[in-house]
Amino acid sequence: MSPDTPPDGPGTRERAPGIPPAGPGTLLEVRDLRVEFRTRDGVAKAVDGVSWSVAAGETLAVLGESGSGKSVTAQAVMGILDTPPGRITGGEILFRGRDLLKLKEGERRRIRGAGMAMVFQDALSSLNPVLTVGDQLGEMFTVHRGMSRKDARAKAVELMDRVRIPAAAERVGQYPHQFSGGMRQRIMIAMALALEPDLIIADEPTTALDVTVQAQVMDLLAELRRELGMGLVLITHDLGVVADVADRIAVMYAGRIVETAPVHDLYKAPAHPYTRGLLDSIPRLDRKGQELYAIKGLPPNLTAVPSGCAFHPRCPMARDVCRTDEPDLSEVSRDRGSACFFWRECLRG
Amino acid sequence: MPEAQYDDGRAIAPTGGGGAMDLATAEGETLEKAPAAPPGPGPAGRPRSLWSDAWHDLRRNPVFVIASLVILFLVAISIWPQLIASGNPLDCDLAKAQQGSQPGHPFGFDGQGCDVYTRTVYGARTSVTVGVCATLGVALLGSVLGGLAGFFGRAPDALLSRLTDVFFAIPVVLGGLVLLSVVTSNTVWPVIGFMVLLGWPQISRIARGSVISVKQNDYVQAARALGASSARLLLRHVMPNAVAPVIVVATIALGTYISLEATLSYLGVGLRPPTVSWGIDISAASPYIRNAPHMLLWPAGALAVTVLAFIMLGDAVRDALDPKLR
Amino acid sequence: MAEPTRPTEPIIEVRGLYKHYPLTRGVVIRKQVGAVRAVDGVDLDLFAGETLGVVGESGCGKSTLAKLLVNLERPTRGSIRYKGEDITRLSARALKAVRRNIQMVFQDPYTSLNPRMTVGDIVGEPYEIHPEAAPKGDRRRRVRELLDVVGLDPEYVNRYPHQFSGGQRQRIGIARGLALRPEVIVADEPVSALDVSVQAQVVNLLERLQGEFGLSYVFIAHDLSIVRHISDRVAVMYLGRIVETGRDAEIYDHPTHPYTQALLSAVPVPDPSVRERRAAAGGNGGRIILSGDVPSPTNVPSGCRFRTRCWKAQERCAREEPELAVPERFREAVGPARHDSACHFAEERCVVPSD
Repeated sequence: MSPDTPPDGPGTRERAPGIPPAGPGTLLEVRDLRVEFRTRDGVAKAVDGVSWSVAAGETLAVLGESGSGKSVTAQAVMGILDTPPGRITGGEILFRGRDLLKLKEGERRRIRGAGMAMVFQDALSSLNPVLTVGDQLGEMFTVHRGMSRKDARAKAVELMDRVRIPAAAERVGQYPHQFSGGMRQRIMIAMALALEPDLIIADEPTTALDVTVQAQVMDLLAELRRELGMGLVLITHDLGVVADVADRIAVMYAGRIVETAPVHDLYKAPAHPYTRGLLDSIPRLDRKGQELYAIKGLPPNLTAVPSGCAFHPRCPMARDVCRTDEPDLSEVSRDRGSACFFWRECLRG
Repeated sequence: MPEAQYDDGRAIAPTGGGGAMDLATAEGETLEKAPAAPPGPGPAGRPRSLWSDAWHDLRRNPVFVIASLVILFLVAISIWPQLIASGNPLDCDLAKAQQGSQPGHPFGFDGQGCDVYTRTVYGARTSVTVGVCATLGVALLGSVLGGLAGFFGRAPDALLSRLTDVFFAIPVVLGGLVLLSVVTSNTVWPVIGFMVLLGWPQISRIARGSVISVKQNDYVQAARALGASSARLLLRHVMPNAVAPVIVVATIALGTYISLEATLSYLGVGLRPPTVSWGIDISAASPYIRNAPHMLLWPAGALAVTVLAFIMLGDAVRDALDPKLR
Repeated sequence: MAEPTRPTEPIIEVRGLYKHYPLTRGVVIRKQVGAVRAVDGVDLDLFAGETLGVVGESGCGKSTLAKLLVNLERPTRGSIRYKGEDITRLSARALKAVRRNIQMVFQDPYTSLNPRMTVGDIVGEPYEIHPEAAPKGDRRRRVRELLDVVGLDPEYVNRYPHQFSGGQRQRIGIARGLALRPEVIVADEPVSALDVSVQAQVVNLLERLQGEFGLSYVFIAHDLSIVRHISDRVAVMYLGRIVETGRDAEIYDHPTHPYTQALLSAVPVPDPSVRERRAAAGGNGGRIILSGDVPSPTNVPSGCRFRTRCWKAQERCAREEPELAVPERFREAVGPARHDSACHFAEERCVVPSD
């Protein structure tokens, strides 16, 4: 088979451009996911036809600003979307080939935890303040694995060791408030790891943490992913964090993926003007410019997304066609896609 | 500051509904004309305030209009009951006791043979006076004391908190039996006074908590950094943002006060005949609910409508004072 | 950015500033059982027209420092001199006059604007508090001008804050801060609550206003890249103290304090090739990953407060508190390494990866 022809053998489905085909290693595939929210001002299409996939041992970063739909996607995948006001109106979420959206709640719950687990942004509010850390970690084993309390306790200590919490045996009986922010996030990670999931979804795991602690936690996540061969989906707004750990990136804007690419390609030459704008607007430690590049305007209101390409009012490259036609994700190369009519121009810079 | 002028344009963008969109400036403040005119509040001709906007809003709110009409009607018949009732509430005929509806007496007669319709109309005066005055007194005293304690903290707050604890410990009925038994006047004022005395701690707690949570907001700090006085902070920044829970609780409490008056009257320490009140009639009718439900139905219905009207009014006012809900 | 001409007199001069919050126990009989040492001996100068960046992690006392500078908190000890006058010991009336000249921009644009006031009232409030700043008839015109200056449509005066996005609200907050034409603006994390694409807009706005109004900024942030972008001088804070301070190039390209080095090296660089270079360099490849967390400000370590997380710590660090001064070994040196650094074992280390 020549490298240029996609392996469209029998049994392979039509795939979205720029998204690598689902292979045997694919853990999770989101296909054309649509989520709507009913608000006072009308229906907001929070997620509007999003596709991505993540394989075992791979880190996919879903990058976007607030309101881009990145967290809603994660919630829909985990089955923790608030419905109402949210509603999944279309698409599939395939975990190891099974569509999670067609499963019964009980089956879904089994996959949650043992199949995939989530790490949240705010570790303090995600932990129960009146239970000790050991009890909360141990609960995963007593409930899901039917272990005795004593065995569960031992497992809890083991997990705390694994996420490098010093003096785990002594601290297992402490309450969440006795831990610092970084340590609490480690406990959340330990909890996600408890049932040895194949996939971890981390929603802004380091946003609430200090820079020096951020680095510790990101390193821990990367290390665990290597050790355990898990897939990692990292939901974030931080281009710096992404560059540090991700293999692939999906950039979201107004509920859609505007660009998807391997991390190197994206940083070297973005194929979408939004990505380019984001990269250019980062103040750099090693460069002190005269004026920061700024993308003009603001992210759109999801109840009134601009016609055509949602980014056109803010886009320096916008032309008439961008105001009227909505660009699909088109294939830039085998593993790369861009939802811009003028991606060739954008690539050239 | 004329020297601050710059000649490049500014950007304008629409604000669709509640969501916001920027007119953000960037890259030399490029001008971006809005494709659509911004909805909502019209042109910026006349400066507006929270209160004028709230009033503008209320006049168009059917809930507020209906509730206000009901309340106006109640106030009118409290002042001039003769307007709609020609009889005398004390004109009773025992022979007609407990009789049902008949021509000229649409609501029937009560246990003493008095006309229920006339008594319900005449009872409005006492009940509405007790309810409204007690609620106003409680809300004012409670929110002033609670608000000051919450805002200034330290010693006044500690003192007030202990004081409210003491008042909470007084059982209402027992307190009423003791305090009101020494009063000889058969007017509503001692009863109202008693209700304010025992009712303010509830509101003051709510006001205090609300003020404490509001005063931590950065906009209060921002006003302080501008040099605003305590009075300004409290009246302009803290109170308008802290008043919503007080309105809600106070309007709900209004019904409780009207029925509390009935309880006290029933126990013989409230109002005595010949005073007419819904409370007195409700308690007098309650033993006969099986054989003559109409005796209870009409005064109780009037009470329910009154309470509902005030709660609706409170809700409408609270919503109008919250710009986010417009 | 042009080199600011530095007058000899700083516009704000902070000396030996302390803010301790007592920790008490008991309801009726209060007993002090300790203190949160939020700001624990800070000296700094701010010169006219310059931007002083203050960086540090959460809990380092930078926000308390901001509140002290604008007099929202009274210091436990120490002085803050504005043009030579100690503003911590002023009468209420004199303080009000000083407040006209030192204003603040807050971090959270969602809580810093009164939701029940219109934009016009919010931006115009400074004139109501200081009626002498603008004649009554002129206020509305000034408010509209201010909105225009910060890039908002003056027609929006009758709208409420919730009708605006985070970036627009921050502009409203900046307009309010500018109303009294202050000389100094203390900005406490003004862009950290904003989206990446909007952050740059607000930073550019602040820079433009500095030029137009001749403002001096104290720019407080945890984001080292933004601080570098906007600052002329930088002070790095750790547990209530400044551990290193200097001109931006001195701090970013020639840091000598181990904490600054760790902080700089931990900043994720938006360039994946740096990751490979680091990996190729083995281990952490020049990246310093500190162990543990910042100690609690109620229980500050003896001697050097950074020693519990420092890889260079020796016995001397526990005994002797290092002074914030040019370290001995650089005293004779000429060049950017010669700046104040509170470390016994200060040495240069390049930690910012360059292209």
